[in-house]
Amino acid sequence: MHALEMPNQLERASHSIQRTSQLRNDCLSLLKSSQNADGGWSFHNGEQSRVEPTCWAARAQESGDFAQIWHFLQFSQLADGSWPASGGMTTGSWVTSLACSVLQSDPKSETHVAAGLKWLCEDFPRDSGPLRRFFESLRPKSKIVSQNTTYRGWGWTPRTASWVEPTAFASMTLRDAAPQQLPANASQRRELAVALLYDRMCPGGGWNCGNPRVYGVDGDALVLPTCWALLALVGSERAAQEKDASEKPGGPLSLAWLQKEFAKIESAASLAVARMTLENYAIEPPPAKRDLQDWTAQELAEQGTHVLAWMCMALNPSRRWPAVLPRSTKGDAQ
Amino acid sequence: MNQRNRELIPSFSRPPSRVMIRKVARYEEDLLALIYESLREFQLPVKDKTIFLKPNLVGLDPQGVMNTHPAVIAATRETFLKLGASRVLIGDGPAMDRDTQAILESVRLREFTGKLGKDFCDLNIDDVERVELETRATRLKELFLPKTVLGVDFLVSMPKLKTHHWAGVTLSLKNMFGIVPGSCYGWPKNVLHWAGIDRSILDINAAARPDFAIVDGILGMEGNGPIQGTPKAPGVLLFGDDPVAVDATACRVMGLLPEKVDYLARAGTMLGHVEASKIQQLGEGVESVRTRFAVLSEFSKLLA
Repeated sequence: MHALEMPNQLERASHSIQRTSQLRNDCLSLLKSSQNADGGWSFHNGEQSRVEPTCWAARAQESGDFAQIWHFLQFSQLADGSWPASGGMTTGSWVTSLACSVLQSDPKSETHVAAGLKWLCEDFPRDSGPLRRFFESLRPKSKIVSQNTTYRGWGWTPRTASWVEPTAFASMTLRDAAPQQLPANASQRRELAVALLYDRMCPGGGWNCGNPRVYGVDGDALVLPTCWALLALVGSERAAQEKDASEKPGGPLSLAWLQKEFAKIESAASLAVARMTLENYAIEPPPAKRDLQDWTAQELAEQGTHVLAWMCMALNPSRRWPAVLPRSTKGDAQ
Repeated sequence: MNQRNRELIPSFSRPPSRVMIRKVARYEEDLLALIYESLREFQLPVKDKTIFLKPNLVGLDPQGVMNTHPAVIAATRETFLKLGASRVLIGDGPAMDRDTQAILESVRLREFTGKLGKDFCDLNIDDVERVELETRATRLKELFLPKTVLGVDFLVSMPKLKTHHWAGVTLSLKNMFGIVPGSCYGWPKNVLHWAGIDRSILDINAAARPDFAIVDGILGMEGNGPIQGTPKAPGVLLFGDDPVAVDATACRVMGLLPEKVDYLARAGTMLGHVEASKIQQLGEGVESVRTRFAVLSEFSKLLA
C-alpha cells in the first residue's frame, strides 16, 4: 500500500460512517414523525394503524415515550388473546407473535402477553391434526409435496397450515418470553416448530415460504424467510445438530446460502434483514451489489414502515437481533 | 368505500362480450402502437379516470416466462395516459415473497416505466377495507381488500398466459388472487387455498370486478405452472372488456376447453361469458393462433 492511499481510505471510511449515521438519524426521525395519534403506525403515512408496522417501529425505537405504543397494542388485542392483522378483523393472526415479543418489554402488559402466548400455544394448524394425518395415511403418497406432517408450526391465519415465517416468529416469541409466562406446552410446541423448520428447508439451504419441493421440483430459497428461520433457530442449532446431525446440517448450509446470496441482494428490506441475521451469527456481511446507504429515508418509507424500521435496526451498530427493549422492573419501559 | 362491488348480472341477460387477439412475435416490437390501436377500438370510458393495472408479478424470472412482461405493462400504462386517464397506478401483492421491491428489481419494471414512486402500490401492505362476499362461493363471508384497488375508476387485470398446477390455468381471473393482501392473509394467501382455490377466484372477482383484461401471451408457460413450468410462445396479446370471456378465449388459444376449467365454468353463470357464441371476436381468429399447451396429467380433461 502506498503511503498516500492511507488518508484516502481513512477519509472514505469516515465519510461512510457519517453517511450511515445520517441515514439512521433520518430514518429514526421519519419513523417518529409518522406515528399516528393512537400510538400505532400504519404501513404508509395517513393510513390506519396496524399491529405489524407498529411492532417493527417499536423495535426500531431507541428512546422516547413507549406508553402510547403499549396502549395501542393493548387496545388492539382481541378477547381471545390474539391480535388481528388489521383493524376491523375479528380473528387473530401471525402478528400475535410480534405483539407478544414487543409487549414483553412492558411489565404492565404481562396479562396481555400471557393471553397472547396462550393463544399461540393453543393455535394448531389444521393440516397436521391427528385425524387429518390418519386419513392422509390411508391415501397413496402425494407426489405433489413431500413434508413430514408430524411436525407442527404456525400458519399466517388460524386453523390453516404451517408456514416457515409465522413458525419462525412464534418460535422466537416463545424462546424469548419470560419462562413464568409460558403455557405448559410451550417447549413442546417450540421443539415441533424447530423440527418443522428443518424439514421445510430447501435442499440447497435456505427457506422459502415452506415448499422445499413441489411436483418433484426443488423450490428456490428466498432471503427473508431464510433470515427469519435462521434467527428463530438461534439457540436450538446445537441441540438439533447433536440430535440429528447426519440428517440435518441445516443451519450451516443455510448460513452459507445466505452469505452467497447476500452479494446479489438488490432490495433494502432483504439487505437490512440479511445483514442483521449474519451479524447475529457473528458473520461479517460480505460485499454486496447494493449498500444500505443507497436509499434515502423517504424512499424506504415509501416501501413501508416495516422496511424503514428494519433499516433503522440494521444501521444501529449496537443492536443485535432480537431487538427487544430491555425489560424494566419499574413499570415504564423506555 | 368499495365502489367496485356492483350488482351481479346473470350471463343470460348480458350483452355479448368483446375479445381481441393480436399477434405479437416479440417484446421488442412497437407495443405502444399496437396496444394503443387495440384499446382505441374498445372506446373505453377512461378519460380523466384513475386506472389500476394489476400485472402478475410472481418472482425472480430470468427467462421472462413467469411474470407479465414489463414492456407490456409500460406500454399499457402509456396507452391509458394517451387515452386521457388522469392517473395510471400499477400494483400487485406477490403471493410467495413479501419483498415486493426485490421482485420489482428482478423484473426490471422501472427500466421500462421510469420511476414510479407512489404510482406503484404494494397491495400486500395497502390499507384495507372489509368487503362482504355476496357470491358466497366459499365459506368466507368477508375479505379485507386493498382500498386502492376498491377505490379506482377502472381496474385492468394483466396476467401472463400460464397453466396452473392447482387451478388448471391462471389468467385474468386467477390473477386477481394478487389483490388479497399478504399482510392480512400471509405469503402464500393460504386461507384462500383452504376455502378452495376455484371458489375463491369467484368470490374475489365478484367483489373487486376487473373492468378489462389484457393477457400477455407473447411468451407463456405450460406444464407445471405457474412458477416451474416450461416456456411456450403463442405470440399473442389478448384484450377484452369481460375477463371471463378473455380467459375462455385464452383457453381456446391454449388448446384447452374453458368449460372444463372449474372456476371458469362457474364464472360463466354470473361474471361473464364462456360460450364462444356470446363472444364477439376481434382481431385474429382463435384458430390462426392456437398453440397447444401441455398440462399436468391431473388436468388432461381440459385438453380439447
